[in-house]
Amino acid sequence: NINGTEEKKFKRFESYKRDNQFPTKIDSLQILVDPKASTVILPIMGRPVPFHIHTIKNASTTPEGDMTFLRINFLSPGQGVGRKDEQPFEDPQAHFVRSLTFRSKDIDRMDRISQQITELKKEAVRREQEKKQMED
Amino acid sequence: MEAFENIHLDLSKAAGKCRFAETGLGWRPAGHQETWTLDGRDIRQAQWSRAARGYEVKIYTRAGAVIQLDGFQHEDFDRLSKVFKIWYSVNLEHREHALRGWNWGKAEFGKAELAFNVQSRPAFEIPYSEVSNTNLAGKNEVSVEFSTAQEQPDKANTAGNIDLNQKKRGKKTTVAADQLVEMRFYIPGTALSKKEKKVKEEEEM
Repeated sequence: NINGTEEKKFKRFESYKRDNQFPTKIDSLQILVDPKASTVILPIMGRPVPFHIHTIKNASTTPEGDMTFLRINFLSPGQGVGRKDEQPFEDPQAHFVRSLTFRSKDIDRMDRISQQITELKKEAVRREQEKKQMED
Repeated sequence: MEAFENIHLDLSKAAGKCRFAETGLGWRPAGHQETWTLDGRDIRQAQWSRAARGYEVKIYTRAGAVIQLDGFQHEDFDRLSKVFKIWYSVNLEHREHALRGWNWGKAEFGKAELAFNVQSRPAFEIPYSEVSNTNLAGKNEVSVEFSTAQEQPDKANTAGNIDLNQKKRGKKTTVAADQLVEMRFYIPGTALSKKEKKVKEEEEM
């Protein structure tokens, strides 16, 4: 653009259009990663709640006793280190879910989910960069 | 009398039979003697929506409680809709949830629960009874903590942590394999920065 700086634009995305697109395994009331929809499905009060990978910043696990805590951080305004790092948002004045923390006794599965989310995020970032290069 | 099998009450591990009669409804887990009941006159509002486990009937009581019954089949809607209409004079409203996968929207505080709405559709709801604590975790950041099993005696092996006759607070997630313990929201404009606060104080003086 005019200033020679690159302006980041918000691109819309959508996890699902209809509830019959959910993977059938949601009935386990467990966290699921659906790579086909680039989405992580989180059980919140019995509801399968999709979060697109583009909303997710990172995921990490912390063991504590016989439990593991899985924390998923989401992208929200006011988190960028500098102005340049700030992600574009469709509506910065909206309310945002900033993080969700789950705990489970199933340590292996929690670690696996955390890795899956990290992989999915990497893949999404890689694809974005490829697209950008193509555009350039 | 209308009966439905494999229904869970408030996300209980154990499934049970849910019966509807003219005077009210009841739920009993398999192999249990006691039955949880609700007087039909206590029903203020009822909603039908897609849940993780099949479909869910959510009942808002006059006393402000939120009761969740899940595990229904898609085709149960017609029968249930009649039950609520004819016996309890309540519309079983179809409530569709947001599936876009967005983390931004509007947190709205209702009578009995907090709904996070994405483009006017709820993505999820949190009944206040499940919240154990809330904090202003930072500037524009609100944390909501949920009751955890540790605070309650471990009764998970009975009826899935359900006290049949006395509804306990904050038990909906305690039996889940993946238990939600904390949620943080970014709410713009809720907190004033130190500078803003100072300015405001000076203005008020």
